[in-house]
Amino acid sequence: MLKGGRLRFFRRYFLPRLAQYLLVTFIGINVAFFIPRLFPSDPVLETIGTIRSQGTYLDPATVDKFISDLRELYGLEGTIGEQYVDFWKRLFRGDFGISLFQFPEPVLSLIGKAIPWTVGLLLTSTFLSWLFGLVIGGIAGYYPNRLWVRALDAVSMLVRPLPYYIFAFILLIIFAYVVPWFPLGGGSSIGWRPELSFRFFADVIRHAFLPFISLTLLGTAAMYQMTKLVVQNINAEDFVQYAQLGGVKGRAIISKYVLRNAMLPLFTNLVLSLGQIFGGALITEIVFSYPGLGTLTYHAVVSGDYNLILGVTTISVVAVTTCIFLADLVYPLLDPRVRYR
Amino acid sequence: MNMRWRILGIAFLGITILTIPVFSQLAPSLPRSETLIVDQLTGRTGAPDNFNEWVGWKWRDRGMQQLMNEPLWSIDFATGEIINGLAATLPEYNGDFTQVTIRLREGVYWSDGVPITADDVVFTIELIKSTPGMNYQAPLESNVNKAYAVDEHTVVIELKQPNSRFHTYFLDRWGCLWIMPKHVFKTVTDPLTFQFNPPVSSGPYVLHSYDPSGYWTVWERREDWDRTPTGILFGMPKPKYVVFRAYGDPASKVLGMLRHELDSADLTAEALKAVLAQGRTVRAYQPSFPWVVNSDPCITGLTFNTMKPPYDNPEVRWALVLAIDIVNYESIAVDGMAPVSPLHIPYLPGYAALFFEPMEEWLKEFTLDLGGGETFKPYDPEVPFKLAELARSRGYAVPETPEDIKTAFGPGWWKYAPDVAEKLLTKNGFYRDEAGRWHLPDGSLWKIRVLGRSDLSHLSTRNSIAAAQLWKEFGIAAEAVLSVDFSSLGLTGEFEVTTDWPAFEPWGAGPDLYRTLSPFHSENVAPLGETTPGHVSRWSSPVMDQLIDQLETTDPTNVGATAAVGIESLKVLIQDMPSIPTFNYTGFVAWDEYYWTNWPGIENPYAQPYVHWGPFKYMLPFLNPTGR
Repeated sequence: MLKGGRLRFFRRYFLPRLAQYLLVTFIGINVAFFIPRLFPSDPVLETIGTIRSQGTYLDPATVDKFISDLRELYGLEGTIGEQYVDFWKRLFRGDFGISLFQFPEPVLSLIGKAIPWTVGLLLTSTFLSWLFGLVIGGIAGYYPNRLWVRALDAVSMLVRPLPYYIFAFILLIIFAYVVPWFPLGGGSSIGWRPELSFRFFADVIRHAFLPFISLTLLGTAAMYQMTKLVVQNINAEDFVQYAQLGGVKGRAIISKYVLRNAMLPLFTNLVLSLGQIFGGALITEIVFSYPGLGTLTYHAVVSGDYNLILGVTTISVVAVTTCIFLADLVYPLLDPRVRYR
Repeated sequence: MNMRWRILGIAFLGITILTIPVFSQLAPSLPRSETLIVDQLTGRTGAPDNFNEWVGWKWRDRGMQQLMNEPLWSIDFATGEIINGLAATLPEYNGDFTQVTIRLREGVYWSDGVPITADDVVFTIELIKSTPGMNYQAPLESNVNKAYAVDEHTVVIELKQPNSRFHTYFLDRWGCLWIMPKHVFKTVTDPLTFQFNPPVSSGPYVLHSYDPSGYWTVWERREDWDRTPTGILFGMPKPKYVVFRAYGDPASKVLGMLRHELDSADLTAEALKAVLAQGRTVRAYQPSFPWVVNSDPCITGLTFNTMKPPYDNPEVRWALVLAIDIVNYESIAVDGMAPVSPLHIPYLPGYAALFFEPMEEWLKEFTLDLGGGETFKPYDPEVPFKLAELARSRGYAVPETPEDIKTAFGPGWWKYAPDVAEKLLTKNGFYRDEAGRWHLPDGSLWKIRVLGRSDLSHLSTRNSIAAAQLWKEFGIAAEAVLSVDFSSLGLTGEFEVTTDWPAFEPWGAGPDLYRTLSPFHSENVAPLGETTPGHVSRWSSPVMDQLIDQLETTDPTNVGATAAVGIESLKVLIQDMPSIPTFNYTGFVAWDEYYWTNWPGIENPYAQPYVHWGPFKYMLPFLNPTGR
């Protein structure tokens, strides 16, 4: 019986989702391959344009030769079909090729250098803002008329609509200029070579603090408002009213009745946010001059660096679809209704 | 409870206070009093591990072209003077320009102690010539027949055909073909992928450290700085360390300067005004409005696609010039802070005597034919005074004497004459509808998309916004289109009006305009849709071809003869106006005098004022530490 149930779950639940996951990933990667090639931007011409606009004298008589040499060097010769086949061959070997604009740096190496900064910053801030928003919003939703809840509502109403750039810049002015406790930007102090020491680690943490706080505060405010709304809706459900009338303690109602039911949409929100980490945090990186995937992707797009765009997008697509797939697998554990459907 | 909170509070405060001195902006090994911190113009380095600048684009303004390399020659645009670096003398051509001799300076060494000799020069030329994909490979292949060392300090290069400007490949104005250390590169199997890390320097500094994420690079003064051309020519560079620092946002640069964490920055107009207003130790290139560096050798403006109607018609192009109120235009683009230029070269102190003053009468007499026997003289020498008046009306202190006003705001520009523009357009079949909107001769609404860069702070973008606004006011459906594909669209001719350079910069501020003019030669014009090797306007003319050919056979060291051909060429450009020069490329440079003084401002321009140009190295021996 149990074995039959597992098989049924595997066939009816797992396999369709696995197929969906693989299909969406495949389509996403294909879109990432073709879309940049539809742009008018040409990585070779952008390189030439950069070199010329920065003042290097390119002898007009030899520009054509330089262009054809670069095309050969960048592997951009051949039809789109040939490039497409070549791309899949390389992808299965785990190779995205070389960055065209940051030639001859391999795309994986560039992504590899940026990922620790992005993941370190966004994983922590996303998870903590989710957790803080969940706990505080959950309690606030259950006790919506308390004074501290109204105060929090006011603060979140004030903070949430602020454009992120403005909010981040306000933090920078206050804590890096008016009260210069934190650095103006960068991932570590100038002249400090990466090393395994407490001082270097503390230096990195201190540089990450303002970007982290800016993301976490805004994230928490958003999560707080969402959780509070969801909890208030659940609060009005009959089973919660019944539990209250039955004398179940408030804390137990929040944790076992309300939050558990609110968990599904909030969990989905967390999973999607975690998946999107690999897109980077462009504005955070710009305001705080912080390293990461956001600026790497931005410069790839600006310079028409097909390979780098494809590398970052592929990783991002795989991360998002994998997270959704894993969430789908976890849903039955969280919600018996899904399990018994 | 209260006591516990109090203890916690005191502990937190203590940790904070103790922690702050430990984490300064600089690592403990870099004393601030000996460190100069400047910003990196092109932003964060994309390939921080790679110092092989002979291949592709390597963010060489991170200190490579300024401190790591000594070129054979470099040009100081503030003076127009060519400075002999690794070369001991100027290049020596034979009579028909088929052979050039380069004499090297004696007593200069690579940073690893190996002498720099003629072998390095010959090796560089041969390696690059034989390696497609390396920068300058194509010109070396098409020009060089043979390069050989006559002795340890003399190189002879035999050319395949006469070329009086061959040496300019080695003339550093914002990059050039630098000499590579033979003893390093001869062991390299693939010079295209070789990272040259750690690099060996010919310049006065060596690499100290860099951020693997590309935000900073630190250079340390060589112990044997006196065995480099910089040391020999100008003495010891004062800062022991020089940091190139990239910021993500111009506003952060302002905060950096105000915190004395950044000694020199290239800002936007708005950021420069902010930092001057707030920073008590901050100064600009000029002591009063317009503050900016007015000696930059580049000219900004608008470029027509002369292969696309109606921009293939010079009268239409001239009508668009006369529809521009340059005072208003400057105000929109750069808040009136840049010198205007009516010529396709910037208005520089050195160029005033060479080109602008000799051409002044011609400019005043230059006449447009409006048809029906009516003519119009478009030149307006009063423009600088109008710009000065505008600044004065805004409360800025501006120079008083006419000469100073011209130095600050330029010599003059073209009249704002919408009525004349209307006559020129009507003469060519254009007409206005009842709403005042202009229509093309075929009856369709006249729309102009003015292409600009996506970076809002770039002067190209500022030009596109100002032009679109003023042409719109004139009745044309004009809009600024800001695109990340700016270069691709320009090179393939997919635009109507773009804001790429209206003419290429001359070599620094030298009298030789060959670099400015040669892209206009008809042999460099490609059909629309193909990449054009020449100027993006795709304009050429038989007269200009003749003048360029004449310039090719003129000795570039003959200033009088070279400038004379230059003047005639500039006249042709004005008559046909394939692009509209508007104002000088303007450096919104700010210097903080908290740690370092004696910056090369307008009152003492001992060197060019930028930290991103190669000759920055020649500024360093003259900076003085304040001892703070």
